[in-house]
Amino acid sequence: MMQKSILMKVENISKNYKMGEISVDALQEASFNVYDGEFIVILGPSGSGKSTLLNILGGMDLPSEGRVLVKDEEINKYNDRKLTAYRRDKVGFVFQFYNLMANLTAKENVELATEMCKEALDIDKVMEEVGLEDRKDHFPSQMSGGEQQRVAIARAVAKNPLLLLCDEPTGALDYKTGLLILSLLHKINRQFKKTVIIITHNMAIGDMADRVIKMRSGRIVEIKENENPIPPERIEW
Amino acid sequence: MVMKKLDVRLLRMVKHSKGQFISVTVIVAVALLIYIMFNMTTINIGNAVEHYYGTTNISDLEVELIRIPQTALSDLKSIQGISDVQGRVSVDVPLQVADKDEKVRIRIMSVPEGGGKINKLYAPKGELPELGDDNVILLEQFAKARGTKTEDIITPYINGRKHNLKVSGIASSSEFIYLMENEQALLTDPKKFGVAYVSETFAQSVFGYRGYYNEVLITLQDQDNIDDIADQVEKKLDKYGVKRITKLEDQPSNNILMQKIDGIKQMSALLPVLFLVVAAIIISIMLSRIVNNDRMAIGVLKALGYSNNRILSHYTKYALAIGLVGSVTGIAGGLFLSNPLSQVFVSFFNMPLAGLQIQYSYIISGIFLTSIFCIVSGLFGARGILKIMPADSMRPEAPKAGKRILIERVTFFWRRLPFSWKMVIRNIMRNKRRFAFLVLGLALAYAINTVPLYMSNAMVTMFKVQYEEYQKMDYTVEFSKPLNERAIKDISHIIEARLIEPKLEYPFELTNGWRKKAVGIIGAPQQTAFYKFVDRDNNVVSLPDNGIFITEALAKTLNVKKGETIVIRSFLPGKDDVVLVVANIVKQYLGSNAYMNIDVMEELLLEKDMVTGVNLATDDNLKEKLKDVKNISAVRSSGDIQESFEEYLDTMIAAISAYMLFGGILGFALVYNATIIGISERTNEFAALRIMGFDKKDIYGMIGKENAIMAGVAILVGIPLGSGMITGMAESFSSEMITLPVILTPTIFAQAAAASVIFTIIAQLATLRKIYNLNFIEALKSRIS
Repeated sequence: MMQKSILMKVENISKNYKMGEISVDALQEASFNVYDGEFIVILGPSGSGKSTLLNILGGMDLPSEGRVLVKDEEINKYNDRKLTAYRRDKVGFVFQFYNLMANLTAKENVELATEMCKEALDIDKVMEEVGLEDRKDHFPSQMSGGEQQRVAIARAVAKNPLLLLCDEPTGALDYKTGLLILSLLHKINRQFKKTVIIITHNMAIGDMADRVIKMRSGRIVEIKENENPIPPERIEW
Repeated sequence: MVMKKLDVRLLRMVKHSKGQFISVTVIVAVALLIYIMFNMTTINIGNAVEHYYGTTNISDLEVELIRIPQTALSDLKSIQGISDVQGRVSVDVPLQVADKDEKVRIRIMSVPEGGGKINKLYAPKGELPELGDDNVILLEQFAKARGTKTEDIITPYINGRKHNLKVSGIASSSEFIYLMENEQALLTDPKKFGVAYVSETFAQSVFGYRGYYNEVLITLQDQDNIDDIADQVEKKLDKYGVKRITKLEDQPSNNILMQKIDGIKQMSALLPVLFLVVAAIIISIMLSRIVNNDRMAIGVLKALGYSNNRILSHYTKYALAIGLVGSVTGIAGGLFLSNPLSQVFVSFFNMPLAGLQIQYSYIISGIFLTSIFCIVSGLFGARGILKIMPADSMRPEAPKAGKRILIERVTFFWRRLPFSWKMVIRNIMRNKRRFAFLVLGLALAYAINTVPLYMSNAMVTMFKVQYEEYQKMDYTVEFSKPLNERAIKDISHIIEARLIEPKLEYPFELTNGWRKKAVGIIGAPQQTAFYKFVDRDNNVVSLPDNGIFITEALAKTLNVKKGETIVIRSFLPGKDDVVLVVANIVKQYLGSNAYMNIDVMEELLLEKDMVTGVNLATDDNLKEKLKDVKNISAVRSSGDIQESFEEYLDTMIAAISAYMLFGGILGFALVYNATIIGISERTNEFAALRIMGFDKKDIYGMIGKENAIMAGVAILVGIPLGSGMITGMAESFSSEMITLPVILTPTIFAQAAAASVIFTIIAQLATLRKIYNLNFIEALKSRIS
């Protein structure tokens, strides 16, 4: 295998939340690297700290301890303004509940994200890639869950980010639609050479990843390299 | 340029919440409408007045004196600063009219040949006729009120003799813009008092002033030294028996006109601010609700890389949109209405219009100030955005900490409270600050409503107390010149009076240090039955053996207290100044006088046994019986005053209704928005209740209960607020001539409360559809932004 370049270095990060008088350790001493063009699945039951980890990687939250380096930049030291810029230019998010703006059409939802980016991709092309060229003037309420999630993916991809972070992207979808979404993410990873990180509690999805990071109770318990990831179409759960 | 997607979202947000958007925008629009309409109108009236004063060359000083030879006038020109001088003869006489019971007075005023240079008459239609020995020019208001036309004959009694004079022209005068007989007359009544202009030779011959005048009009080069010049004029004319010198600013018509303009100005400042404050309250509550509802969307925006500032400005633009749409429509409406309103005012005052003006500075400042108001309240309402963490916002919001509330400790009460009330009270307590803001807004609306109710109440009381308590005479007969007390006997032979009292009224200048004021001192018998004097503590007091009573307004002008002394300066030649103790300060709502024991007044200030009129209690028809009696200039009855007051009340009712409408709009918008916000915020809660078996009516009832509590508390808060507003209003409305009593009766507050309850109910009904259309089941399923 050829030499992989490091996109992101996660070094010993912890996160604890203070809720009144109790403090919750949501994440403890997590360390790993993310390589360019990789497809990572972070697996774990709810409460295992995977969302916290994803939020920190995406610049939505800061670790209590440890460092996160993106192309040698220490994002854990960023102030609010720099974090905003990081989210804007480097990261694309896909959420479990799509979280589209209800009063914007599909295309407008994508444009909402690209308007601020310098290197945005052509929106019509992206809409075509996600298979929504005919639905782009529809409002979220007029679309199925799968369609909405495809808009969300288009929204994340069109920004042309370094990194695509997906939080349970199939969690609210039925099996068939879920598979379609996974294929789409897989295609984006392979075709556009985008690094994709998916968090999920669905073990089966791990089979399509280049690497699987397993978490439990705020700790990484295993990092497994997949020699032969299987295509999403063949995943079953 | 393509619109930013956030702005597209904003527009759709506005469209989605049309009702709320419009109801707040209306408040802003009304604020700006009032602001622009009244400001433009005052500017237009001000311009018209200035223009009118300019073209008619109004006198800066008006000197009343006993008599001055025509030849003496030129002496005045030697005083530095005087630009022109003109003399005239002016005498009030009765006018014969068809209805014998009607008492009409007319002021006969001489005009120099060719119209003169000062106080020129203004004839909107054509030229003014030459005045000879048998014709007059009639003042327009009077002619209109009485339906008199040119070529008609009017018949004044002059020195007991009828004169038939032809009306050969109708004109307006800048000194009678507001037609006031004198300072004591408080309402204009152009049916009962008018002015007829006659030739100088005619006036001088019929009134016995051949070669003389009894009034001098003076114009000045500038107003800077007006007091100084007035003093010099007084000194110079002293020997001719100066009765009083009136500056333009004190001239009754001008004085009232300026008061009216000031009144409009105050309204145009106060009301818009109140409206904007209420709009700001609603906007900030609305936005904090929208932000709260949009938590997830805001989180997504943050995740997409939108900065706090951009998101904050996105939501603040909603507030700004309200401000801009509201101010633009308000200003357009204000401009549209300001022209007709100016025309109505100007023609009401019988002035030529000096052109209508739009002062763009008001428009700019209006938009600018409104925008700032809205932006600040928007930022305040949307500041919750800053606290939203993108990661947290994706998770459902933790329920608000439920706490026991104070009232629950009163277990006796709490345990007996039905469940739905408990929920309502808890809910109010959950968002105390918002509740406080809403209460404040509603209390303001309530307070606005108390003001017009108070005003009408105060006016009625003022007249009632003044004419049924303080001055109980049925008639006052004024003599055309001071007479010996024997004249009273003569009158009592003619008239069957239950009671007759001598009256002595004469102008003097009261001074205290540099403060001075010319007023009529009224002398009445010490045990007068007609006048009732009430001091500041509402004790009835009787006229002192020595000393003088002055009214509250006068005490304020002169800055004297009870027991201090003032100097009484006589306008009569050869009379020394007299120092008198202020024996008491008495209440008088209308007019401003000083009162003395008539005997003391005769002795100290005038001459023994001198009277200028009588007060009477009688059922006799005075008018008929005094018709042919010489030396009577006026017969005034309390009935006349009552009548003209009733007419005045009619116009006041219109103003009151407008005021109430403003308060109603405010209250409606507040309750409507609060209710809509409450409904949309608690959709989930209501959905749960519905599933538990509550029906729509129960839920609607809960909202109604919340509004009822809100309105109740608002009324309680509004009572002191309204009292404060009323006191302020009374103070700003009161002048040297009118003292508005601060009367806070329960009726005012009860009526205002009724109005508040009505608009609360209307607003609640307007939201009925919203709650009935809410799809509760759907609400439970989704939590998607």
